[in-house]
This record gives sequence, structure tokens and C-alpha cells, in this order.
Amino acid sequence: MSNSAYTPFGPARHPGGKPEAKPGYRVLVHKKFRNRWAEVVDRVGLQQAQQFWDHVAATPGQKSPIASITILKGKAGLPMADGWSRTHHYEISGAGRIDYQYHNEYAAGAVGDPHRVVAIMTISFGSH
Amino acid sequence: MEHVIFQASDLAKERVRVLDAARAGRAVVRDKDGTGLVMLPESHLAVLEGYARWSQTLQRLNVLVAAERQVSVAELGDLAWLRVFDKDDQRAFSDELHEALIAGLSDEDLSAVDEVVADWKVTARQLEDPLRRSVLLGATDPDDFVEAHKPQG
Repeated sequence: MSNSAYTPFGPARHPGGKPEAKPGYRVLVHKKFRNRWAEVVDRVGLQQAQQFWDHVAATPGQKSPIASITILKGKAGLPMADGWSRTHHYEISGAGRIDYQYHNEYAAGAVGDPHRVVAIMTISFGSH
Repeated sequence: MEHVIFQASDLAKERVRVLDAARAGRAVVRDKDGTGLVMLPESHLAVLEGYARWSQTLQRLNVLVAAERQVSVAELGDLAWLRVFDKDDQRAFSDELHEALIAGLSDEDLSAVDEVVADWKVTARQLEDPLRRSVLLGATDPDDFVEAHKPQG
């Protein structure tokens, strides 16, 4: 290896500073389960509830090191409309289960800007 | 692959060769009364037994799915958990199970079959509850959703 202080190649800086992080997912809950969402911390604990939130807000659909995720089968797993994912079943060990779908370019109505959305479809507490 | 047929006396005299053949897939031993006995790896036997069991189940399921009438829980037996699904979904399960069995036998590993069954059972449990069922199988619209707030302590 050369002892020269001259280093012809080095990492270039991103113009304008660090690139902006991708915006997270907006999280929605089905009206029929909004009461259960309100009690999610009491039922599964703050840490587990926040871990679920972090999962859906950043990486919905991807594997989680702390929860088991299954894609539901048959008609229960079908996307609710074009652009939505299949139904993902997130299982918090012994504490609860949450089904959700996500959309990477959801535009609410004709004038809404496309944005990333997670829709929580069902919530249940306790083990099976 | 050549299959050597060993004699019962080879179990003592040719023990290593018999075991090597068994490890490689199968060792056939002809007993004194002419009965053929087979020694094979335990994992291979487990795949064959699992394949036979699931094939039998699949055959029964296909008959039930093809029936024009509503099938009773008693007829479903150990597949009673499938009662929450309609015929289309039961047929989809049957097709997936069939594919997983064929692949599993070829790979000598039935773990894909276990995964298929486990995933369908999870789905069945979600559909047992009427409220969850109404959302998962109902005509859900994006307008049915409201903003969820981050869980706070």
C-alpha cells in the first residue's frame, strides 16, 4: 500500500446534502376496528404495539424479526382494490393478530397526491 | 442405480455393505422364507409416509369439493377447519396441496406441504369470527378506513 497522502478516489457527497429518507406509510384502520386500535397498547403492551407500528409505517409486507407474518389464503387474502397488496397477517406472539394491506401509490379521490398507505383491516387480541 | 439384493446372512457378514446401501437409498434383504425386506433412511420413509397420508386426504377432499351439496363437518373429519371456506377456496387449497405434494416428493422434503396447510389454517381462524369475516370477505372500500394514530404510552 502506498504511503502517499494523495487519494485520487473517494466517496462523493450527495448534492444538496443527505438524500431525504423515503416518507413512511400513512396508517389507516377500518372503522369497525377503530375501538380495538384504541386499546391496542393495553392489550399487547406498548413495546409490541410500537414494534407493529414501526413495521407497517416503514416496511409493510416485509419479514419481521419479531413477529410472524403470513399472507392470508383464498378470498380473504385478495386485495380490496387495484394497487393494494394481498392481506398480510401479523401475529404478535400470544398477544394478538392484525391483518393489513398496503398501497404504494394510493390517491384518495381524483385530486389526492399518490402516497403510501397501510390499511389495518382486522385486529384481534389473545392467542388463537 | 444398481440394487443389490442381500441375503439374511449378509446382515452379519456384509454389515457395512448393507448399511452403505441403506444410506444410499435402500438395502433389500431377502429373508430365508423369500420375504423381501427393505432398509432405507428414516427421512426418506417419513416423506413416503407423509406423501401417502396427504394423498389420501387430498383424494377425500377432492370428492367432497366436487359434491354439489354442502358438505357436513363430520364428512370433513380432520379437515373440519376448512368449513369456513366456500367451494372455490376449498378447491384452491386442494390445488395448492397437490402442487406442494408433487414438489415435496421430488425434493424429498414435505415442509412445503406443512407450510401450505399452516397458512390456510391461519386464514381459517381469521374467518371464524363474524366481524373479521365481514371485513376480510366483504366489499371493503378505502373509504371504510380512518386515520390510525401511533401507539403512545
